[in-house]
Amino acid sequence: MGSVGFWRKELRIGLQDDRAESTWLGRLDARAKLVGILIFVIACAILTAPELVYASLVISLGISAVSSLRPAYLIASYAAALPFILLAAFSVTITVGWDRGALMIARTSACVLALIVLVGTTSSFDLFAGLRRLGVPKVLTTLSLLVQKYIGLLGQELSRMTTARKARGFRGGKSLLDKYALRVISNTAGMVFVRSAGRADRAYEGLKSRGFDGDLVGWRQTRIKSGDLAFLSVLAAVSISLLALQAGLIA
Amino acid sequence: MHIPDGLMDPSVALVGWVEFAVAISLVLLVSGRKIREQDLPRVAILAAGIFVAQMVNFPIGGGTTGHLIGGALFAIIAGPYMAILGMTVVILIQALMFGDGGITALGLNALNMAVIAPLAGWGVFGLLEPLYASGGRLGRWAAAAAASWASVFIAAAACAGELAVSFAISGGDFGIAPTIAIPAMLAYHAVIAFGEAIITVGILAYLSDVAPKLLSRKSAAEKEGVPSFRGSRIGFSAAAILAVFALILPLYFLYAAEGEDGLEQTMSDAGTGEGSAMFVAPFSYGESYFAALFAGMLGFVIAGLATVAILKTLESKNGEG
Repeated sequence: MGSVGFWRKELRIGLQDDRAESTWLGRLDARAKLVGILIFVIACAILTAPELVYASLVISLGISAVSSLRPAYLIASYAAALPFILLAAFSVTITVGWDRGALMIARTSACVLALIVLVGTTSSFDLFAGLRRLGVPKVLTTLSLLVQKYIGLLGQELSRMTTARKARGFRGGKSLLDKYALRVISNTAGMVFVRSAGRADRAYEGLKSRGFDGDLVGWRQTRIKSGDLAFLSVLAAVSISLLALQAGLIA
Repeated sequence: MHIPDGLMDPSVALVGWVEFAVAISLVLLVSGRKIREQDLPRVAILAAGIFVAQMVNFPIGGGTTGHLIGGALFAIIAGPYMAILGMTVVILIQALMFGDGGITALGLNALNMAVIAPLAGWGVFGLLEPLYASGGRLGRWAAAAAASWASVFIAAAACAGELAVSFAISGGDFGIAPTIAIPAMLAYHAVIAFGEAIITVGILAYLSDVAPKLLSRKSAAEKEGVPSFRGSRIGFSAAAILAVFALILPLYFLYAAEGEDGLEQTMSDAGTGEGSAMFVAPFSYGESYFAALFAGMLGFVIAGLATVAILKTLESKNGEG
């Protein structure tokens, strides 16, 4: 629930594509970033030894610090995942102990921060083209690209309708028994669908006219460079070391 | 309901990924034959519409709000395959572009909200077909309300189960304690599901008044061979509900493999054991998780086939009569 306000804010500023290109991580190949951070997040999610979990959190904080992402963006993105993290930590604290609760917060935070860095430093097009080049089915990546494009349009539409509602005195209603509020909300959501249906074909024709042939592969032909390989190797080495330490393979 | 990384036991997250991979592969296999390039914008716009509709908060009471999940709505408008595909993209974008829900937990998030929610909604709506077929507009909205309530509640129950299983099998390292996860998730989502039902019916009513073409019996998607709810029969809906149970089955076995059932526990407490059996069955549940899972799946398939056979027999007898 807490993430909804954040999405709205993100849509208002037009997703994060402009910001992504301006960071040094943003210039790395999306495939190297996807695979590297995926390996790191998987390793973090598996860790249970306290010292390793806290070490992974420190590494994640370090990656966030050098990512050139704005602290406000990092905090707002982290806040979106906070309700689940706190509920889990609370349940573990009262059933097992505060140390396990703290460990839960550290582990989930390490994963969430690494994911935020990936999200914030990769433009949507690079992300989906990267996924496609890593073997994700064409239908999913093409649909994702289209959905992402339409979300921007519809988000602006919703924002205009919300402003118009407010101007007419609508304040969001009080409860599920507030019939008027629910009718207004349903109509707003319904209107989003109606307006979106009209725009779908036009937007797709626009893409086709710019040479889109239904697949993202042809649109990105970048090659993995030494910088990309270095990033991937460092993250993979760190992740494997953490797992080896947990398994007792390294003293 | 978006599970972040690091919260779930790795084995539960892995089961979620495997199940989701199987489900989406089947959907891609089936829809891949029917979906055409020109269908993509329609599915995409519906998915984007659901994404944006998820940002419209509705009041629950006491100052809290909920928002639409949209699985049932998507399935009612576009059919189960398109709904699973579209909702998967919504979950993927939420995770990869907004950091909402984790990468390791993506399998479970997609399973709950992109597979279980639309399938459950579509299945319940289909099973209530006689209600809306005879009850007109009111019956149709009642069926849609029940379907959307069920889709949210069943998806939340699956999520609560996953959290509880994670906690139980990891000894508290992962997940949320069942005593907190199950009542909290079910109680909260039972209320949110009412909001989902009201908003879903509101959207469908609005669309039927303003843009009936989107809901017409022969929608554009159906004309082009995209499977849609309205072309289905009760048997397919029942199969969807069974598929939901089948998806929950492996996670249940992760938990069930750890303990004894009520009678076994009672016998163990009383210090009695099983006597010699009068009949030795050809199969056993096995001792390991995978043996138990295999036995469970085998039982599920046999029970499913037996049900289909009985229904077919009854259908042919009715046809003769």
